[in-house]
Amino acid sequence: MTDAVAEPPVAGRGSDERLARQSPLRRLLGRPELGALLGAVALFVFFSVVADAFLRAGSFSTVLYASSTFGIMAVGVSLLMIGGEFDLSAGVMVTSSALIAALTAYQFTLNVWAGVAISLVLTLALGMVNGLLYVWTRLPSFIITLAMFFMLAGLNLGVTKALTGNVASDSVRDMDGFDAARAVFASDLDVLGLRVKITVLWWLLFVVVATWILLRTRTGNWIFAVGGSAASARAVGVPVARVKIGLFMGVAFCAWFSGMHLVFAFATIQSGEGVGNEFLYIICAVIGGCLLTGGYGSAIGAAIGAFIFGMTNKGIVYAEWNPDWFRFFLGAMLLIATVVNLIVRRRVERTP
Amino acid sequence: MRGVFSRGSAKGLAVLAAGVLVLSACSGSGGKEAEEDTGGEGPRLEIAMVTHSAPGDTFWDIVQKGAQAAADKDNVEFLYSADPDGGKQAQLVQAAIDKKVDGIIVTLAKPDAMKDVLARAAAANIPVVSINSGQEESAGLGALAHFGQDESIAGEAAGTELGEIGAKKALCVIHEQGNVGLEARCDGARKTFDGDLENLFVQGSNMPDVKSSITAKLQSDKGIDGILTLGAPFAATAVDSVKEVGSEARIGTFDLNKDLIALLKAGDIEFAVDQQPYLQGYEAVEALWLLKRNGNVLGGGRPVLTGPAIVTKDNAAELEEFANRGTR
Amino acid sequence: MTGGKDAPLLRLSGVGKSYGNVIALRDVSLEASEGEVTCVLGDNGAGKSTLIKVVAGLHRHDTGTYEVQGERVVFDSPRDALDRGIATVYQDLAVVPLMPVWRNFFLGSEKRRGFGRMDVAFMRSTTHAEMAAMGIDLRDVDQPIGTLSGGERQCVAIARAVYFGAKALVLDEPTAALGVKQAGVVLRYIVQARERGLAVVFITHNPHHAYPVGDRFLILNRGQSIGYHTKDEITRDELTGLMAGGRELEELAHELDAAGSPAATRIKKEAETLNPADG
Repeated sequence: MTDAVAEPPVAGRGSDERLARQSPLRRLLGRPELGALLGAVALFVFFSVVADAFLRAGSFSTVLYASSTFGIMAVGVSLLMIGGEFDLSAGVMVTSSALIAALTAYQFTLNVWAGVAISLVLTLALGMVNGLLYVWTRLPSFIITLAMFFMLAGLNLGVTKALTGNVASDSVRDMDGFDAARAVFASDLDVLGLRVKITVLWWLLFVVVATWILLRTRTGNWIFAVGGSAASARAVGVPVARVKIGLFMGVAFCAWFSGMHLVFAFATIQSGEGVGNEFLYIICAVIGGCLLTGGYGSAIGAAIGAFIFGMTNKGIVYAEWNPDWFRFFLGAMLLIATVVNLIVRRRVERTP
Repeated sequence: MRGVFSRGSAKGLAVLAAGVLVLSACSGSGGKEAEEDTGGEGPRLEIAMVTHSAPGDTFWDIVQKGAQAAADKDNVEFLYSADPDGGKQAQLVQAAIDKKVDGIIVTLAKPDAMKDVLARAAAANIPVVSINSGQEESAGLGALAHFGQDESIAGEAAGTELGEIGAKKALCVIHEQGNVGLEARCDGARKTFDGDLENLFVQGSNMPDVKSSITAKLQSDKGIDGILTLGAPFAATAVDSVKEVGSEARIGTFDLNKDLIALLKAGDIEFAVDQQPYLQGYEAVEALWLLKRNGNVLGGGRPVLTGPAIVTKDNAAELEEFANRGTR
Repeated sequence: MTGGKDAPLLRLSGVGKSYGNVIALRDVSLEASEGEVTCVLGDNGAGKSTLIKVVAGLHRHDTGTYEVQGERVVFDSPRDALDRGIATVYQDLAVVPLMPVWRNFFLGSEKRRGFGRMDVAFMRSTTHAEMAAMGIDLRDVDQPIGTLSGGERQCVAIARAVYFGAKALVLDEPTAALGVKQAGVVLRYIVQARERGLAVVFITHNPHHAYPVGDRFLILNRGQSIGYHTKDEITRDELTGLMAGGRELEELAHELDAAGSPAATRIKKEAETLNPADG
């Protein structure tokens, strides 16, 4: 695999160095998601060999579902990371969003769609608060969103317990609009004989939209610019503060969607859920080629990162390895995927 | 820092500050409710409960409700604090000692971490009762009584039930890796279950992951005909997974909540092993109250078991009201 | 550009600026007209960067007047200055290194079609054409701008300002961090901008860079003007004397020579290449 990567530029160098630079293959090699793609292929082949059940259609749909639950959040998180910031509150924000919808709908006996709408507004407001705090205080987003993480975790528990007397929201399963909402956020679809969760389709849609925004719109240009060099961007008139606030709200939007999936897939929401997931989203984005320092990356890469994560996560179950070692395998797989990514990128960078 | 405070006193101050924070936060609601209730006799007692619970755990929520109910009845001011980290739990106990409470209820999930601080409680003449985990160590650490469910015994009961619903090859779904109590339940179930019981680890804080992991397992091994989950929310998710895969697997679980009652009634879940957390809280407060009021000690130095109680379709309806209230 | 030729595009008269009790700039006057290069020379700390910030709209001046095409102005932000056609290219703030050349070229002024889409093909070809027009043959407008040389990067930034209709171009030390050859590329570009009819304000500490391209020379020292001349009033040697840039280089060479350092010959050579630069 790596030989194939190294060879074309060498061959091109003999004729004309400038032509080699422009060759489509060379351009492909320069894409941020290439390393992740190779890692994904390697993992897929690996699990296909070691786990009999892995290649069945039903299994593949389960892997896709697991990937989509990480992947939807990874879309927003990767855009934010390209814009040069982190959001550590993303994991609990999903739970907050789900709780807002479930609690408002139940407590005020509303149609669940009202809860969905209220949740959208409030969750976007949370993202905006993250962004505004970042812009006003000029503190690192790491600190701002860490504070938000703790506050939301506390609010999730405190408000839920104050309203319901329990640590989980009341079931909204038998309320008006639940079935329609479930069809949108958590239903199964039949795609070419394969039963696919609707979240998978939403995930792909979000990735396409995010990629289009990044590569083909002015906003995308600005996202790369504020992450790559905020000062330069400001000097040429890019509204840096607005772009960053928008990116935090983008994460919030993804959190809202994931939250709605929780509500309509499980009907009750445990208020302590979601802690720790923020790192998984960041890992997906990083495997997919986003730089931790910002200014570089892609939404497609983050999607491949989520797919790698979903494959590893479920592949271990299909391979029936001893669960005591689960986390070790998970860590090792992630390390291998990231290292493959790194090696590929270095090789591409080294060849002129 | 050193110039002003010695290291010890600085640490003490920090503990005190943490304790004051926790205690003042808890006593606000407890005190008000208790004052309104004049059912108890004698001077008002103050009892602190310090557990290893993580925030937002249903089980510990019910333990607290039981303890609060007993406290209201007995004119006791009930203070609750918790930290999953052994060292920090010990600091919270120390804070209660500093506050000179009339009794302390602790969990002994990490007995070694609690040893020193319980010795200090004894030195301060504060009676200690242990609940939930640690029944082996309870007496040795100076606790007067222990109220809990032996995880192994509960697991054995679950194993028997699994056999009775006709399972031959079952999963034991562990939602928190490295939790000794959960492992003990699975081990106990394995002891009495005739078939094959395999552990499956899922990430409990991430419900979609729980679902997709169970689904994946059912897909990879079609022979699985029984699932044992170790917490109520996970049982409901297992029901979804079973339906999705079209598996024949029957489901049993530990713990109860109101959604689970509905699933039991509908026959989606075969049985629930209830360790009656309400009793653990209630009895512990009551035991300390009896000791202070009348010098009684319950259990004769041996653990008092609060479970397991088996809930099935037959008796689910009777418990519905209590589960809806959030006390079962 | 034809009618209002009587007033210079930019005119600063008696401009002063202080930060607290530090007087950074005192009574400085400057003119820049279309098709002219006005050089601002001075050593570090002479007040060049304060002057540029006033001109660019980053800071407001405290005393004196600032006129654009004969009209008195007070700028609140760089955007205001930009709207008046005054574009500033900063030495290190010029570009976003990881982004492709064409994205940098159009950053902040993206050409759009409907639905918020960018006209990528247009922007790519325009970037290529504009750079080619300035004598820089880009191999690939998609390469990250960080892979270009320092001189080329400055040129992209300048070309960008010119393309977007700047009437006055303020260049902050565009040649400072560059080698001799690279500096030559940028100087050639400055001449091209002048020939296109722009007013150029060229800030530098190197008289050998300033003299060949400049029409007027403002020499600053410790926040004050110590000379303001048109090209026919001053020779390169006099300018060098005022600035003492080349002389100090020679002195350094002498010192190193005395110490027996092999670097001396190299520096001497550099001083020589700098001197006959304007032929």
